[in-house]
Amino acid sequence: MKNTKNSSGSNPVWQFFTSVRLAIFLLIILAITSIIGTIIPQGESMQFYLDKYGPDMFKVIKALKLDDTYHSWWYLTLLGLFSVNLIVCTLNRLPFTIKLFKRDYINVTADYLRRVTFRREWRISGDRPELKEKILEIFEKVAGSYRHKKLENGDDVFMVESGKWSYWGLYGLHISILIIFAGAVFGSVTGFKGRLMLLEGETSDHAVASSDPSKKIPLGFSIRCDRFFVDFYDTGAPKEFRSDLTVIDNGKEVMKKSILVNDPLTYKGVTFYQSSYQSIPEVSVQVSDTSGASRTLVIPAFQRVSWPEAGITMGLMKFLPNVHGVPAVSLWIGDSTGRADSIWLFKGGPKEISAGGKTYKLNMIDASERYMTGLQVKKDPGVWIVWLGCTALILGFAIVFWVGHRRTWLYLGQDGKDMVVLLGGQTNKNRLKFEQDFEAVAQAIDEVTGEGR
Amino acid sequence: MTFSSSYLLSITTFIYLGAAALYLIHWVFRVEKVGLLATFVTLAGLICQTAGIGMRWVESYQLGYGHAPLSNLYESLVFFAWVTVLVYLIIEYKTKKRVIGAFATPFATLAMAYASFSPDVQDTIQPLIPALQSNWLIAHVITCFLGYASFAVACGMGIMYLVRGSGEGKGLLSSLPSHKVLDELMHQTIIFGFLWLSVGIITGAVWANQAWGTYWSWDPKETWSLITWFVYATALHARFVRGWQGKRIALLSIIGFISVIFTYFGVNFLLSGLHSYGSS
Ligand code: HEM
Repeated sequence: MKNTKNSSGSNPVWQFFTSVRLAIFLLIILAITSIIGTIIPQGESMQFYLDKYGPDMFKVIKALKLDDTYHSWWYLTLLGLFSVNLIVCTLNRLPFTIKLFKRDYINVTADYLRRVTFRREWRISGDRPELKEKILEIFEKVAGSYRHKKLENGDDVFMVESGKWSYWGLYGLHISILIIFAGAVFGSVTGFKGRLMLLEGETSDHAVASSDPSKKIPLGFSIRCDRFFVDFYDTGAPKEFRSDLTVIDNGKEVMKKSILVNDPLTYKGVTFYQSSYQSIPEVSVQVSDTSGASRTLVIPAFQRVSWPEAGITMGLMKFLPNVHGVPAVSLWIGDSTGRADSIWLFKGGPKEISAGGKTYKLNMIDASERYMTGLQVKKDPGVWIVWLGCTALILGFAIVFWVGHRRTWLYLGQDGKDMVVLLGGQTNKNRLKFEQDFEAVAQAIDEVTGEGR
Repeated sequence: MTFSSSYLLSITTFIYLGAAALYLIHWVFRVEKVGLLATFVTLAGLICQTAGIGMRWVESYQLGYGHAPLSNLYESLVFFAWVTVLVYLIIEYKTKKRVIGAFATPFATLAMAYASFSPDVQDTIQPLIPALQSNWLIAHVITCFLGYASFAVACGMGIMYLVRGSGEGKGLLSSLPSHKVLDELMHQTIIFGFLWLSVGIITGAVWANQAWGTYWSWDPKETWSLITWFVYATALHARFVRGWQGKRIALLSIIGFISVIFTYFGVNFLLSGLHSYGSS
């Protein structure tokens, strides 16, 4: 691209963005500024930054959005400039590459071959067609199959060429970066990221936005957690988290899957990942009143359960799984008048309480822990574009790294009484390897011409 | 300790130390035979280490955990040394320039010594926590370390480039390959490393996407790998800009490797994030 000029060449803005110097500058700035977000913790509350860094630094952090560096206006601007640089650079280079690609490299002169990177020349007195034949034979054997062109002056050029198409590898590579950016932007605009906590047996038709816990995201279907399991190694380290999920769409169970940490469930573009869990205690208490009526109330944590006819409401405040061998709970008791009280209840130790002028007998039947699974919920329609870009990146790279445009010419001509043999070679990649291959051809010709070293 | 993988791997450390010394002697005194010996010793070290890694794999099955030996700091250091030696031997085979060994094998020796003898690094075999139970993790670690190892060798070449003046004199330094050769080799090695680093970042993203639902979350380790990627992208483009060739590329190769080391250790020990090699 260094020597190219095209119609837009006069526009100074365009010129500015064609420069690889700008790319170097942007890469260095990106490398340096990216460090900031790894040193300053990201995504904390404003109060956190004020306390940790003091009022002066806090102003800087707030102004430059260093609490969310990688989504700040200036970082996105850098990435934007970088993309423009990449696009302009690619477009600018295109005519030049097309020219390179279309050119027929067999059109060379003896003088040209005396100036290429790799070259050898032999002069042999006399006109010796049989030697020419032999040289050509060895050329084909060592260098590969060739194309032939007869020049006007009667001389012959033979060329072995490979990897001409590799000029496009670099395009694949550079464009792939733009594809990845595009996929990331598309995904963040059209998708969402959320969380969902589900008790065993619980169903939900929405998730909660990760960025804003007060925002509900409707799923368009429902998901139920049937069971949650956690398993540990002997060392105490966790071994496996598993949630058995059921998808319910239009009232029908349409899908069942057990998800693990690296094995999520996807339905209608929405993916559920196993991310955390909590254990939630739950207690069943048998309540009897003086009239002899009795009922068993199942009270999960954080919920209040009532027996309206008897005028009593209970809530679970504390749960101790093992107090001298039995579970114990602290219960919140409310009566019909709204007055509240609390008591401790042990399994196997029935208690009498009075509330709202009535007496009740409480007996803990069972206390257990129920699990609540923590799911990440994500919809990212751009992820496929990102993977496409990544694939193109790797392919482009493989081509840039391994495939070069290699040309080896053999020129057989006559200069007065002397026979002239020219060997020329040119590559745009891996010169060391090419040099070895070129030397092998040269040596083979040396042997034929009797100049073996 | 009885005959075990740790024992074999400790021995490897000393073999690599010997190899590094031999390469150094070969360079300083220019004795061809010592160079050949150095190659054989390095190869012996590689075989011993391969056996050690294989045994460790078997041991992890015997303990009932059954996972590839690529899951904690110790194992990753050992793997880093292994790939570094492998990449170096391939370059030596292709270029026949044994002097590079004096600048490449020390990286493997240091990594092994750090793994085997530092109190920060535990060599016990640990079970895999759920997030690490993924084939993508194996692909991720292998490709990242192929990149890191190539960058270690490229850093060695960068140092060679800087210490070697451009003169053609008869001194010790002028026996190093010429600037032209070093520049070309360094460029090739960096592209090779860059390719694997890119694949490493991508496989990491696929894994993260599967485990946590985001392919990129800007956690410090991810970000540092991207910083490293930017540095080497700079080094690759520098040769197309006047005033940036030669010395600056050699410098970038060294800065890049410092960034690799920071990505690898610094993040674990100094910053916090998802990747828990250092703290576990
Ligand atoms: C981080 C993103 C980028 C990556 C990963 C990347 C990668 C590469 C690679 C691997 C090469 C080949 C080097 C070689 O063959 O020696 C290259 C060459 C090149 N890149 Fe980039 N590049 C990036 C960004 C850019 C940008 C923003 C520009 C715009 C100016 C650019 C312009 C070029 C040019 C002009 C070449 C030279 C091709 C040639 O003359 O052979 N690159 N790039």
